Amino acid sequence: MTSDQERLIAEFVEKGLAGDMDSINAIEDRALRGKVKSALVKAKRSGAVAKESKEDTKIPEKENQQDKQAEQSIDEKIKKMIEEQFPDTLIENSDSDHIQIKPEKWYDIANWLKSDSSLLFDSLQCQMGIDIGDDMLESRYNLHSMELDHYIEVRIAVHRSNPKIPSVEQIWRIADWFERETYDMLGIEYTGHRDLRRILLPDDWEGWPLRKDYQVQETYHGIVVPKMKEGWE
Amino acid sequence: MTVDFIFDGLNQLFPAVAGNDFFLIIAMLLPVAALLGFITIYGFGVIYSEIKVSSFIQDKTGPMGQGPGLHAGKWGLLQPVADGIKLFIKEDIIPASADKPLFILAPFLIFIGALTAFIAVPFGEKIIIVDMNIGIFYIIGVGSLAVIALILAGWSSNNKWALFGGMRSAAQIISYEIPAGISLVVVIMLASSLNMQEIIAYQEGGLFNWIIFDNPFMPIVFVIFFISALAETNRTPFDLPESESELVAGFVTEYSGTRYAIFFLSEYANMFVISAVAATAFLGGWQSPFENFLNTPAWSVFWMISKTFFLIFVMIWVRWTVPRLRVDQLMHLCWKVFIPIGLFNVFAVAIWIVVIG
Amino acid sequence: MGVVHGEEMVLNIGPQHPATHGVLRLQVRTDGEVVSQITPYMGYLHRCFEKHSENVTYEQVIPFTDRCDYLSSMSMNFGYVVAMERLMEIKVNDRVEHIRVVMAELQRIASHLLCTGVFGLDLGAFTPFLWALRDRERILDLFELTCGARLLYNYMWVGGLSHDIPVGFVESTFEFLDYFEPKVDELENILAHNKILVERSADIGVMPKDVAISYGVTGPNLRASGVKWDLRKNDPYSIYDRFEFDVPIGEGQKGTVGDCWDRFYVRIIEIRESVKIIRQALASMPKEGDVHQSLPKKIRPPKGSVYARTETPRGDLGYYIESDGSPIPYRVKMRSPAFTALSVLDEIGAGWLLSDVLAILGSLDIVLGEIDR
Repeated sequence: MTSDQERLIAEFVEKGLAGDMDSINAIEDRALRGKVKSALVKAKRSGAVAKESKEDTKIPEKENQQDKQAEQSIDEKIKKMIEEQFPDTLIENSDSDHIQIKPEKWYDIANWLKSDSSLLFDSLQCQMGIDIGDDMLESRYNLHSMELDHYIEVRIAVHRSNPKIPSVEQIWRIADWFERETYDMLGIEYTGHRDLRRILLPDDWEGWPLRKDYQVQETYHGIVVPKMKEGWE
Repeated sequence: MTVDFIFDGLNQLFPAVAGNDFFLIIAMLLPVAALLGFITIYGFGVIYSEIKVSSFIQDKTGPMGQGPGLHAGKWGLLQPVADGIKLFIKEDIIPASADKPLFILAPFLIFIGALTAFIAVPFGEKIIIVDMNIGIFYIIGVGSLAVIALILAGWSSNNKWALFGGMRSAAQIISYEIPAGISLVVVIMLASSLNMQEIIAYQEGGLFNWIIFDNPFMPIVFVIFFISALAETNRTPFDLPESESELVAGFVTEYSGTRYAIFFLSEYANMFVISAVAATAFLGGWQSPFENFLNTPAWSVFWMISKTFFLIFVMIWVRWTVPRLRVDQLMHLCWKVFIPIGLFNVFAVAIWIVVIG
Repeated sequence: MGVVHGEEMVLNIGPQHPATHGVLRLQVRTDGEVVSQITPYMGYLHRCFEKHSENVTYEQVIPFTDRCDYLSSMSMNFGYVVAMERLMEIKVNDRVEHIRVVMAELQRIASHLLCTGVFGLDLGAFTPFLWALRDRERILDLFELTCGARLLYNYMWVGGLSHDIPVGFVESTFEFLDYFEPKVDELENILAHNKILVERSADIGVMPKDVAISYGVTGPNLRASGVKWDLRKNDPYSIYDRFEFDVPIGEGQKGTVGDCWDRFYVRIIEIRESVKIIRQALASMPKEGDVHQSLPKKIRPPKGSVYARTETPRGDLGYYIESDGSPIPYRVKMRSPAFTALSVLDEIGAGWLLSDVLAILGSLDIVLGEIDR
């Protein structure tokens, strides 16, 4: 499509949006007319969406921003408090939506997060493990306070060669099974966990399936394990 | 009565060899054969009514097959037959670690208990296989045989669920025999007899002469007896020994095919016996509810069967309506509620007989 | 007289057992009938949801979410699309939101019906189960009308829906609700106030508030313990902030707050609240609007992560999605509500009789597909 044509189409679309359909219908070149019409429909739809989204999202956006600010502030606040109480555990990160800490003092920090009267994180919403590449594994905790209704995410990264993180199973009881699952899938060892076994896979399964370099074992008790298919067939 | 009748008839037919032992055996076997036939037909009937009554309660149609052949017949009438055939041609599985002789013995024992109880049931004015002078006592005694069979089944299966079921049923049936027995003691006190026919004769003369309306305590006695009867036959809400959502199938977990069918049939046979006893002891047996209304020997069979079936219907109705009790609540109900009330009833009725009756 | 102790016995409930709601194995230690310890073993239904998700595109994950909780597939879809739309910052139009809410609430009713019915079944009452299934069938008919499937719908897509609702759907739904409301009372009468059921479930398996929160128990189970926590109210997603409904909590009407009876009864009240929401959503549903309007051509979310929670019939369903900017997810984690509910079983179930343990298990309303994923 030449730039001339594009310019022409844009002109006609503008006319069409203004309500002048006759000039579009009067175009002699059928191919050009089709293009103009389809461009017009697109323009109309995107315009409608833009209008709608402007109207609808204006107010929530503000709220979202406020929420974000509140979240940021709680994140910042906790970061500062951790700096003060547990020096040399915080890892500075550019993203402000989570708190990155070193694994060593995690149990004490968790205990403090749960019991400090201004934080009261009594609910561990989610705990997940992830292979973040560069031979690092990460354990992420989504904490929530039922009473004060605020929410943070804590991330702890460990190296694959020594994947050990203190267990918080005795602080939030649900961490018992969450940590077992992460151990099952990624092989992160939670020190101090009283019952660290595989939970979903059989006890004698080999390897950690959710690590990115996982190789499926050839046979399991004499049964051939089917290979995972690449992509969609 | 019936045995004697046949024996006498044979003796009269062949006076040359009268008093022969062979005649006695025939006189005993004929009613038993008739009884087996009756139980089979009754079994089909009651299973069909269980299916259909439950379907009605549960807002579904139940089996509705049409036509002959391998379908379930019109309105699913042949469904119980199909079920029976299925069970009888199934493979007979005996677990390798089971105690084989006891495992095989258990279903026979429970069926013997159910079958022998039938011979003292008064089906009509003239129809009772053996009219014993201790009829009601005999039925209770023979009915207890089921406990041994259930424990045997539970123990010999070598399965934890079966063991749980067996132990539960032993505790349950032995416990509930006491309130049932106490209730019948009251009836025996009123009728002054253990003989089934004499108990029925005592209730002659219409609805209000029935033992259940004899005095103000009798409805309570009847309710206690009926609920205890439910417990003795392992019906909901007392089906703990075979509670399918807790104990898989309880004492019948390891049974399949014919042996399972025998357990199944015995449960329904027991239902009939216990309902017949309730009808005899409380509802006037084969007596018509109205004096001089259809009160002939032929109609007596009709009255007896319909009273019994009404009670069986109530059992089915209860089964599909209420949940199941827990084992400690079951014991609580028996020992702390039924037995004290039952004993009180015995004393109260005794005083009633002395003072008023 | 002291308590008589016998030899302890190890009993395996399951994997094939009528009361375990799927393939769950509970290893219980019993002394007679008293259970002293319960150890759940799961994974019999593990279908590698999270590993599969790392190998298919974002839209191909949706059918997998269906199969996780096969009793509330709509809600599982809903959670995923809410998370994806938050990650991609897509805003869908009002009609889509309304249809989604209607579907999710219908699904909630269907799921709660099954749960209450099965709870009765666990306690030996067969009839209410079939009554519940009969009404659930009508809801499945509505779903079939909408998307052709009765169990696994794949209905909600990122940025829209697979189909618009058919002509006559709104009327049929209203008709269903009119038929259904008296049936709830019927179900309540035969089950909730039945003397035997109350005896069997009141004061049994009491879950105190702090235990529930510490174990991450959510949804109706948490509300039965007396915590007024419902994401539809406390952290409204979609358009739930526009509707009026109550959040029922356990009040210990028949026993203690947080017993089996409360857990069961909360669900019955929730059915009524869902009916309210559906009525409001159907009444205010815009006539115009294309359900494919904001459907992205290619789903390629920006680099980053999102953790979004939604309220399914079983509790807080969280999706943690990590994106590396490619059309294939880097990591999808499902925080499933039944998983956390099952973990509390040993805490509240030990010390009760065998029959009670199965009643407690039934009242927790677990779905094994979601636990094992």
